Amino acid sequence: MSKKYAVFLSALFCAYLGGFLLLNLVTPDREFSPLENRYLAQRPELDAQDFRLAWPVRESGDFFNGTFMSDFETYLTDQFAGRDLWIAAKALSERALGKGENNGVYLCKEDTLIARFDRPDPDRVADNLDYVNNLVENVEIPVTFSLIPGKVSVWADRLPEGAPNASEEDILAQAQASTAARWAGLDAILRAHAGEEIYYRLDHHWTSLGAYYGYAALMETMGLEPVPLEAYTKTTVSENFNGTTFSTSGVRWMPPDHIDIYVPEEGITVTAWNGTQSQPGALYDWSRLEEKDQYSFFLGGNKPLAVVEPPHTDAPKLLVIRDSYADSLTPFLTANFSEIHLFDPRYNKTSVAQYVRDNDIDQVLVLYSVANFVSDSNLFVLAR
Amino acid sequence: MVFSSLLFLFLYLPLVLGIYYVTPLRWRNAFLLVVNLIFYGWGEPTYILLMIFTIVLDYFAGALVGRWKDQGRDGWARWTVAVSLGLNLAILFFFKYWDLIAGTLRGLGLDLLPSLGLSLPIGISFYTFQTMTYPVDVYRRDAQVQRSLVNFGTFVTLFPQLIAGPILKYKELADQVDARSYSVEQFANGVHIFVIGLGKKVLLANNIGMLWDAYQAMPVEELTVLGAWLGVLAFSLQLYFDFSGYSDMAVGLGRMLGFEFLKNFDYPYISRSVTEFWRRWHISLGSWFREYVYIPMGGNRVSRGRLCFNLLVVWGLTGLWHGASWNFLLWGLYFGLLLIVEKLWLGRLLEGWPALLRHGYTLFLVLVSWAIFALEDFGQMGAYLAAMFGRAGGGLWDPAFGYYLRSYLGVLVIGCVTATPLCAGLWPRIPKRGQAVILPALVVAGLFLSTAYLVDATYNPFLYFRF
Repeated sequence: MSKKYAVFLSALFCAYLGGFLLLNLVTPDREFSPLENRYLAQRPELDAQDFRLAWPVRESGDFFNGTFMSDFETYLTDQFAGRDLWIAAKALSERALGKGENNGVYLCKEDTLIARFDRPDPDRVADNLDYVNNLVENVEIPVTFSLIPGKVSVWADRLPEGAPNASEEDILAQAQASTAARWAGLDAILRAHAGEEIYYRLDHHWTSLGAYYGYAALMETMGLEPVPLEAYTKTTVSENFNGTTFSTSGVRWMPPDHIDIYVPEEGITVTAWNGTQSQPGALYDWSRLEEKDQYSFFLGGNKPLAVVEPPHTDAPKLLVIRDSYADSLTPFLTANFSEIHLFDPRYNKTSVAQYVRDNDIDQVLVLYSVANFVSDSNLFVLAR
Repeated sequence: MVFSSLLFLFLYLPLVLGIYYVTPLRWRNAFLLVVNLIFYGWGEPTYILLMIFTIVLDYFAGALVGRWKDQGRDGWARWTVAVSLGLNLAILFFFKYWDLIAGTLRGLGLDLLPSLGLSLPIGISFYTFQTMTYPVDVYRRDAQVQRSLVNFGTFVTLFPQLIAGPILKYKELADQVDARSYSVEQFANGVHIFVIGLGKKVLLANNIGMLWDAYQAMPVEELTVLGAWLGVLAFSLQLYFDFSGYSDMAVGLGRMLGFEFLKNFDYPYISRSVTEFWRRWHISLGSWFREYVYIPMGGNRVSRGRLCFNLLVVWGLTGLWHGASWNFLLWGLYFGLLLIVEKLWLGRLLEGWPALLRHGYTLFLVLVSWAIFALEDFGQMGAYLAAMFGRAGGGLWDPAFGYYLRSYLGVLVIGCVTATPLCAGLWPRIPKRGQAVILPALVVAGLFLSTAYLVDATYNPFLYFRF
């Protein structure tokens, strides 16, 4: 190694490390990452409390128990200069190596991203099924229970060959066999339409079309007449939707999804409740189409409680215990119910049985995606 | 702190290097001592006190040993060495093995000791072994007494090899601690080795490690024969690239700071016997045990029975050094037995075998050993080994095996090739002009890709937290 060459290599190395040190100092910290759809860690602060010493050491302040240091490393990673580019570069490198997945997301055929479905905790599944049964005992009105299979099973043919996933079918069978509620199976109808765009390719939710098929199957179980799909006109409201699977995957080379709606919003009033505070909502929140998480266009995103009232008043009142999949289903439900109460146990811990009595509810629908149902830790609310 | 982190690469290292080289020579050790302690205490600052205690203890032990020796009081010197070793081992035992003993006793129905649940001070097994050599080397007149507390502290805490080796003996490093030479060629060479090590850890070990994690987490009834072997192959490559990557980074950082460390790994997977494997794997640990345990116990110059006993003791201890769990003891004894068999009988027989068979024999036994090493739960270990030998009923292979093989084929091939000296052998054949272009390009590509994988790090384990 010649001296000149040694100087060059040493300078190159020092310039790389030092260059990013300086770059990290001068680039401003970001609060939110639109591409990753999450809040980024901010610089941790130290105060006198953090230097408190206690025995055992893990009960000391943040400096002495190491919390400060690990927070600082998270901060450094989250705010690293050019973070979005590094993430994209890593995903590209993984693809070049022939990897079938990145960050727990399978890179599938037809420009589809599907999150891996890991084996759920069997105790959690059994508990959640019991909570639904408790609800059936606690209310005097019919309870319909349904779980929405994800694209990991309905679109399994798009997965890389042999990609390991836990079985959603087993969960559906277990739920159907053990539930005391009226079971509405969505698996068959979604599979029958698997060739259509029933899920977003880059988001975990079903599309409005998928939600329509879900609606049709639910109405059949509840003994109601679904509106035929032909009665609606499809409107495309967005053509640049990059959803949650896009965000976690790091994959940046697939074309975005489009969002369609079928049901016009005219005449439908929405009230969003947070405790006793109410504020007007909307079936479609158009401002959300400007943001990264465009799925929150439907009903304006997660809320503890929302009440949707179509103009007609003769139909029954429905309570939906739900996750976010119900947001795009609700527009279709407005044809068959006079009030739709959307209750999200993640943010709402009031008694469901009491709520049913207080609001003269006629029917209850418990509707979750399989992936959320097997992991949700808030369903105990149903037993209250 | 660990090397494979953005904090180390883009904050700690550039600052340390920058300030180190503007510091006058006579203050450099003091500066190193301070930054070593920051490196060590990052995340668990209270353990800095423990480190200072260890430094002071061995500093004075060494000084006393030197004085008694000079005064011809060999017995006193011997006792000082014994007390110092005892205290060092007591600290190691307390932090590392207390809970294992307490838990095992409780399992036997003897509720004698409470479990403490203390976190293991980072690198304690490495630096305790390192400082223990000092009074011994002074006693044996292999090294001079270190007069400067700062220089001694720098030796004990030297950040490049503090947390994952190589384990340096005092006598090997004594001269370099006192005075070392610097050259830009040495620095550039350090950069080269460091980036290779970083790439081994971040790009290969972490990547292949995810494959092992998938198999490790699989319910045993789903394990297939080929799947179980693929999993254990993945672990063997993960551990090798992780560990040798850390050692390379240590050697590289050492050179950047003017130190020369001995190499710790020498392509272990090309070995043609288990004996050879252990001459190539974690060389500094093997040499430590040979010099400070095996030879003092009599080494080879003893009866056959005593030789077997010595080997089993050394390998039992080597096993336990890797972690406070009984599977590590079993793993060590497994190798102890294999080495005894090779020493007494099989070794001579192996000489006559064709090379391919010898490689197959060695890799087979080493892969089986990793299953014992990696699975702490004896039930899971038994089931995993059963699956490897087709006794678990999961079949030969399944679609998941096909998926994992396809998905990881790229990194596995790169891993298997770079685990041999093939690339290093081809390198000199490239014309000098080509080398001058390829080398910096590889350094930049290695740094660039490692940065990308660290920024989007979903999986970056520190494997030696148990060591």
